[in-house]
Parts: sequence; C-alpha cells; structure tokens
Amino acid sequence: MTFKELVKFAGWLVLAILGLSLAAILGYWGPWYFAWTVGTIMTVLLAAFAGALYDRQAQDYGEAGENPEAPGPES
Amino acid sequence: MEPSQLVVELSRWQFAVTVMYHFIFVPLTIGLAVLLAGMETVYVVTRREIFRDMTKFWGKLFTINFALGVATGLTMEFQFGTNWSFYSHFVGDVFGAPLAIESLMAFFMEATLVGLMVFGWDRLSRGKHLFVTYMVALASNLSALWILIANAFMQHPVGAQLDPATLRMQLTDFAALIFNVDAQSKFVHTAAASYTLAAMFVCGVSAYYMLRHRHVAIARRSFRMAAVFGLLASMAVITLGDASGFVDVGVQPSKIAAMEAMWHTEKPPAGLNLFALPSEKHEKNFLELKMPVIGGLMLTHESTVAVPGILELERQAVQKIKNGIPGLLALEKMQKDPGDQLAQVTYDVHRNDIGYALLLKRYAPDVAKATPAQIERAAKDTIPDVPVIFWAFHLMVYFGLLMCAFFVLATMFSLLRSEYRRRWFLWLAVFMPIMPWLTVELGWVTAEMGRQPWTVFGILPTWLSASTHSVAYMAFSLAGFVVLYSIFFVIEAYLMRKAIHDGPGDVGGRKQEPAPDVDLAPQLVPGD
Repeated sequence: MTFKELVKFAGWLVLAILGLSLAAILGYWGPWYFAWTVGTIMTVLLAAFAGALYDRQAQDYGEAGENPEAPGPES
Repeated sequence: MEPSQLVVELSRWQFAVTVMYHFIFVPLTIGLAVLLAGMETVYVVTRREIFRDMTKFWGKLFTINFALGVATGLTMEFQFGTNWSFYSHFVGDVFGAPLAIESLMAFFMEATLVGLMVFGWDRLSRGKHLFVTYMVALASNLSALWILIANAFMQHPVGAQLDPATLRMQLTDFAALIFNVDAQSKFVHTAAASYTLAAMFVCGVSAYYMLRHRHVAIARRSFRMAAVFGLLASMAVITLGDASGFVDVGVQPSKIAAMEAMWHTEKPPAGLNLFALPSEKHEKNFLELKMPVIGGLMLTHESTVAVPGILELERQAVQKIKNGIPGLLALEKMQKDPGDQLAQVTYDVHRNDIGYALLLKRYAPDVAKATPAQIERAAKDTIPDVPVIFWAFHLMVYFGLLMCAFFVLATMFSLLRSEYRRRWFLWLAVFMPIMPWLTVELGWVTAEMGRQPWTVFGILPTWLSASTHSVAYMAFSLAGFVVLYSIFFVIEAYLMRKAIHDGPGDVGGRKQEPAPDVDLAPQLVPGD
C-alpha cells in the first residue's frame, strides 16, 4: 500500500465515522430528518436504477432486431 | 393601537396570496433538483450521452422555475415587517434566525450552485458536475427545511419563552427549535410532496412528447425515471402525512378536530369521516359517511386513546381563558412595576395560558371584567373554520391517493414498455400535473388555516399580530401583489411552454439521436 493510498483510506475512514456519528445523532434527535436523508437517497438511486434498466431493456430489444424505442408489446 | 379586523383579514389574504403564488414554483424546484441528480447519476454511471441531454433539458426547466421562485419569495419576508409588525416584534428574536439562514441557503448557496450546474457542463469533470447537482438538490431542500423550522415554531412553539420585561419571545434552546417535532414531520411531508409534484410534471411533459412522437427516446427514459421516483415519493407523502397527523393530535388538537369534522369526543378508537357537510352553526355534520374505528387508530396509533372533539376542546378553552386572565393581569402589573413579586408569582403560575386571555381581549378589552358570554365567544374562536379545513384536508388526501394510483400504473406500464402505446394513459398523464399543484396548495390551507386563530399557537392571537395600516393601503397593496404575481405566473408559463415546445433537441446546441422519433408513427396505428 502506497502512502497516497493510505491517506485516501484514512480520509474515507474519517468520512465514514463522521457519517455514522451524524446518523446516530440525527437518528436520536431527529428521526424523521434521518428518514428523509435515507429515503431521498434510496428514491434517487432507485429512480436512477429504473433509468439504467430502461437502457438495458432497449439494448435487449435492439439485439433482438427490434426497434428499441418501439411502443412495446400488446398486453 | 390595535389593527381593525378588516386590516387583519386583508393582511392574511395578502400573505396567503403571496405564499400560494410562491408555492407554485417552490415544490417543482425542490423535487426537480432531486430528480435531476438521479438523471445525472445515470449519465455518469453509464456514460450514455442521452442522459446528459436529458439532465440538461430538465435542468433548463428547473432554472426557469428557480428564478421565478426566488423572485416571488423575496416579498414574503418583507411582509413580516410591513404587515405583521407586532408579530415580528414579538417573535423576531426566534423567528429571525431560521429565516436568515434560509435566505443564506437560497441566495448564496443554492444560487451559486445553480450557476455552477447550469454553466459548468463543459468546465467541470463529470464527477464534479454530478457533485454540484447533488448539492443543488441538497441546498433547495435545506432552504425548505429552514422555512419549515420557522413555520413549525408558529405551529408548535418550543425552544423559546416570553420575556415579561420586553414582551418579546427569547430563544432558549436552538436545538429544540431545529428538532421541533412539528418541523420534522412537516419537512419530510413537504419534501416528499415536492418530489411527487416534480415527478408528475416530468411524466406529464414526457407524455406530451410521446403523444406528439417527438423526442421519444428522452421522453420514455424521463417517464420511466419519474414514474418510479413519483411512486416512491407519493407512498412517502401518504406515510409521512399520517405521521404529521399523529404529531398534530398532541400539539394542535383543534386542527385535527377540524380536519376530521369531529364535533364530539367518541369512544376510542374514533371513526373516520370520509365525507361530510360540516355546519359550524349547528355544530354537527350533515350527510356524514363514516368508517368506524379507523380514525382513532390512524391518528393516535392506539386503540384506547380518545381524540378530543370540537365541543370538548371549546370547553377546555374556556378553562384556559379563565386560567390565563390572572396571568395577563399580572403581566400588565409587571409592565408598570417590574419589582412586583406577587405579580411575578401569579405570572409564573398562569404563564402557559396567557395567550388564551389575549384571545378574550378582542371581546373584552378589560379582561378582568369579561362576561361568561364573552369568554364563551373567545373559546369558540379557538376552533378553526371547520368546513374549509375538512374539505381542504380531505381533497388533499384523496388527490394524494389518486396520484399514488397513477404512479403505480405509470411504473407498471413503463416497466412493461407499453406506456407509449396507451394513448389514453398518456393523455391522462398530460393533465395530471394540475393535481399535485392543487394538492400542495390544499396542504398549505390545511396547515395554516388550521392554525387559526393563532399566529403563534397558544401564545399570540392573529388579531393582535398585524400592523395598523389603513384599509385602503392594504387593499391597494393586495391588488398590487395579485397583479405583479399574475405577471410572474404568465412569464413562467410562457417560458416553460417555449422551453417545452423547443424540446431537448436544442439543449447545448446538440441534437439528440433522431431515428426512433422519425420512424415510430406508422407502428403506432394498431396499438392506438
């Protein structure tokens, strides 16, 4: 491990400890602020996942020789 | 000198009008900023240029909205000083701090970061730009947080106490102010409502493009992301709305009783009025449709705790008024003679109910000589306008449930890749954005009219809080605000329409991948 990597590791470690401490304080004094923090991050990430999933589906359609932006199957 | 009732009403109207105009822009800014962060995350992770164009396009709409949101917000803070001078004098030392922090957040942090986000696309690395976008989202949410902390002090005043020598509220515990349970529940509920509104806006505009077979690649991706984002947000709004009601049972039972049009204290667990025509005159509901048990369980999360009805709350208010009278008289004595020890002791015993005695002062300037009829009348004032609150709240809830159902369908159709074919659903999506805007405004009506007759709940009555302007001054300035804000609204509508009409193709001077948009029209016929 180089010195640069060590510093980087220590930096992330400090950040993680700060994050956990903040979560503990927020969880105790402001449980709904904590819920908002976690909930918003999860919502953003799931929406991002949904966007990426669209691309993946479009790619599969493309590989199958169909128009990836076609209206979709009859239900 | 006290303001006339008409001046108080006009001051309330002026603030309500400006807030409701302002709140047309604010939730879209808050929600769209978070959604932009999600879109850009996909761009940074997948490196697909289409997500960059998508972020830039919605970012353009965000910027238009942000600018007008800031412009309409400026006047509100001045209104505290101009139209609510006694209120500002009374709670300025407490209320000023979160308001000042909000201004710093909105004008310094948020505005600077928005500048970086808009102009930084070709100047910052992908990672740095993504960081800036997340910071814009955080800053816009933090702006709302500080406003709601200030508002929560009006709803549930904690962390401060009245200094009898200066007749001003003094901050005693800043942490209590920030972690006020009302601030927490209102903030999470408002933030989630803003996310829902932004998601509906993105779904609506995307559906419009799909109906016109324009910018389909971006529209379908936007629709997918907004549908999932909106589904989660609308579920959060409902859950956190329940939490907000749970808090209000403890801190503002009069608002809860009005929201539920609950005249009598029922044996727990109380029922839930799904529909009613409440009559304040008859103190009962007409055409009541009630679900048994559910109301008490939802409001208290217990099956054995009673929710006080309006008539019981009025009886409690009579006692509070009677208890507050000696305290108010003692306070007046302490004003004349700060060394009066007996007055100090009396004040300490009755301090919690002095606000109720101030309510009585409206009908009996000398509260020591108040008649039982005057006390009764003041006690009735402690209940807000029941029909308005009941319907504002119930329409908000019904619209919220409808939006959640819409997002369930939107997510399902998008995941099945069939949303583009369902033109009826796309048409529905185009008109749906009206609903979240109505819902957030109804939410404000419920929260703020439900707080009446107080500006600071249980402490400072609204009738005492306003400035002593003339009626002509108030009527003229109110008309001025309506005209000015209507102009702002027209500008917003024009700019938004133009940006949407131009579409994402013009973003950054680079055209999006055109092929699918051009080739699709013939394929739509069988499925339509």
